[in-house]
Amino acid sequence: MRARLLAIIRAIAFIALALILCGIIFEASGFSAPDMFSAILDGAFLSDGALIHDLRWACPLFVSATGVVVAFRCGYFNVGTQGQFYLGGVGATVAVALLPGLPAVIVTLVAILAGIGFGALWAFWPGWLRIRSGTDEVITTLMGNFIAGLLLVWVTSGPLKDPSGSGQVTSSPPVPLAIRLSTDTGVSVWILALTVLVGVVTWVLVNRTAFGVLGGLAGRNPVMVTWQGARLSRLGLGAFLFSGATAGLAGAMEVLGPDGRLVSGFSPAHGFTAVLIALVANLSVSGSVIVALFFGGLASASLYLPVIAGLPSAAIDMVNAAIALFITSRAMPGWLRLPRRNRS
Amino acid sequence: MSAALACDGLTIRFGAFTALSAVSLSFAPRQIHAVCGQNGAGKTTFARACAGLLAPSAGTIQIGGNPLRGGHVKDARAAGVELVHQSFALPPSFTIAEAMEFGLTGKRGAVFTRRGLQARWRGHLEALGVDAKPSTRIRDLPVETQQAVEIARALAGDARVLILDEPTAVLAPAAAEALFERLKRLRDSGVTVLIILHKIREVLAVADTVSVLRGGKLVAGPDDAASLTAARIATAIIGHSPAPAGDSAETAEDIGALVGTDLPHGHRHTLTGPRSVAALTGVTTRPGADGQSLQNITLTVGAGEILGIAGVEGNGQRPLVEALAGLVPLTEGSVTLDGATVTDLPLAERRKRGLRIIPFERNTEGLSLSSPLWENFAARSLLAKSALSLIDPAALRRAAHKAFQSWDVRFTSVDNPARSLSGGNAQKVILSREMDAEAKLIILAQPTRGLDLGATAFVWQAMRETRDRGLGLILISSDLDELFDISDRLIVLQGGRIAGQFAPPYDLGRVGSAMVGEH
Repeated sequence: MRARLLAIIRAIAFIALALILCGIIFEASGFSAPDMFSAILDGAFLSDGALIHDLRWACPLFVSATGVVVAFRCGYFNVGTQGQFYLGGVGATVAVALLPGLPAVIVTLVAILAGIGFGALWAFWPGWLRIRSGTDEVITTLMGNFIAGLLLVWVTSGPLKDPSGSGQVTSSPPVPLAIRLSTDTGVSVWILALTVLVGVVTWVLVNRTAFGVLGGLAGRNPVMVTWQGARLSRLGLGAFLFSGATAGLAGAMEVLGPDGRLVSGFSPAHGFTAVLIALVANLSVSGSVIVALFFGGLASASLYLPVIAGLPSAAIDMVNAAIALFITSRAMPGWLRLPRRNRS
Repeated sequence: MSAALACDGLTIRFGAFTALSAVSLSFAPRQIHAVCGQNGAGKTTFARACAGLLAPSAGTIQIGGNPLRGGHVKDARAAGVELVHQSFALPPSFTIAEAMEFGLTGKRGAVFTRRGLQARWRGHLEALGVDAKPSTRIRDLPVETQQAVEIARALAGDARVLILDEPTAVLAPAAAEALFERLKRLRDSGVTVLIILHKIREVLAVADTVSVLRGGKLVAGPDDAASLTAARIATAIIGHSPAPAGDSAETAEDIGALVGTDLPHGHRHTLTGPRSVAALTGVTTRPGADGQSLQNITLTVGAGEILGIAGVEGNGQRPLVEALAGLVPLTEGSVTLDGATVTDLPLAERRKRGLRIIPFERNTEGLSLSSPLWENFAARSLLAKSALSLIDPAALRRAAHKAFQSWDVRFTSVDNPARSLSGGNAQKVILSREMDAEAKLIILAQPTRGLDLGATAFVWQAMRETRDRGLGLILISSDLDELFDISDRLIVLQGGRIAGQFAPPYDLGRVGSAMVGEH
């Protein structure tokens, strides 16, 4: 209980420090810090419809963050969320394109599963390399993000291109309305239900299964669980696949939900923010709910700032970056300061 | 003549916990002073306070007659007090010369050449009789040389008081002897040595005076070591707390083994039946990263038997455990467990058949120090289940709580990390996990290394009880007293081969020559 309280205090302290740093930079670059923060607050939580917008961004972010929580707890630093998220979007779009004329419910279901599968696949190969030959997963998953980004450009300007599309950003044809999970506002019962489902499943996995406890032990001391007879390769591959699957699901939710199509380079900060959420939440599933709502608010504010308040949306990037700076600094949660090259 | 180091009413509190309570004593210069006591007696706290690492809550420390500002390690250094920690503090990637120059002094900024550094420290190392090149990296040194370098580093300045915190815990017996010789030479050259020890035999071998701490209080000393007997020191250390459970004859023998006196060894155990719980047949392994391997090892462990494995460290003990655990591939041979061949089965399957392991490294292989105690305890039972099976954390916490209580683990909450426990209690956590009702073969690798008297006796008693329940036990130890006292049969490993098999009463000379390869 005390440890949990400490984690909450620490998270709040990190965010406070980041905001102070941003305030100084705002002032130094000629903006009024109080104005900027009140505009951010409006855009994130207080203005009309801000909460809906918050949820629209928070739901997919939370879904991806749960996967990061699981992988990081097990000691695997899968930072390829962005790539797995993109592949999930591609998977859902491919399913929609390949299944014309089937009942909408079935297409939606298959598209979701395809997103999950594609995302898991994009986490499988770094996981496999890690487990078979010890290849550093930070490098491989990070590189995977770039490959996935280019893959997305290719499919949206090639095989899945919207023939009627014009303009600078390429995309797939719109997903038929009947298949969509949500429309205008970006939030629907279905999106919320999926998000809650993922949250519950992950919470149970982490806190109420043998996998969760053993994964936590393995993340902190892989040698000890090896002497207990655990097969690290299975445990690790499971963690990779789960985190890829959740990121893939988030990608599918974007395509079938708010975006309504596969857009080249969509949600470019999604993976980064999901990792940040998991870290700020100290790798707790329930904590990630609150933190995801916070970052969802920031995401919605980054659209509000330039459009309504006439302020640069880069302010939000700065806040995100500053939080990342503090959370990954020396004061990082004890979890992540482990010597992580001690396993064979 | 003023005391080299004296304290008056020294008290150290951590929150509500009093680690040291009004300790007053004074150490004469140019002597070796042993401070002993059980785990948790306050020995390490005392050492750290004397080295200026901890500020006294009350009382004073004087060095050579001058008061020491508590909590200021630089002041202590300037006054000539140096501490060699229980776990080594030199950066592993540094060469010896670099470590001597920069390792702990924190000197920086000066331009230096590698050759200049090495030349500067070569003479210092030679003068202290440290047999290592200054260009060798710390991590490539054997543990006893690392320790010698730590001591040399401590003496690099003008140290007049050298404090060593349990220096023998990491050493093989022969290396401990060498350390004692080194310390005696230092004493003769004018250094006052304060040594924290828990083995009475070692105390008697090295110390000029003996002081005993118990429960944070000074209960004896400093007394002239020549006037003391092992039994008197043991009594002071253990105090009037109840003796470990078990019949008194065994307890008497335990104390004999603890103090290293030669009590007659009666072979009291007659349960050994024909049934074997485990066997290795012609087992050969490739050399591991540490160069150790097994060469054509054939041995059996009977139900109700403690098989002792003796040998100089690094002669195949680790591959032997790994071969039994299935953690190293065999190039030849087979392993059976409880009558079934398990050569190709992974550790998880072997554990299901009753294999239990108390591994060599308590803090890395035995426990996850940053994980809660209950998770450490539950790991074994959880691995017997499928990964996605649901668990009840509350029930697992209760089970851990119950097991710890029945194993007499001193803990405050099962939610605390394993690192909150002292060495002896940490080992009891591992015992409570590995000595369960379904166990059939228990491998204990150095189970009492670094443990104090009480905890050591506890481990031995637990081994005897499980043996008498009909389990097979393999005890790997570098403490011959321990092996002689408790083993029903003894095998000596040398160069990965079985160099000899012995039955009680053991002949130290014959076992010793098998260990060094003289047949």
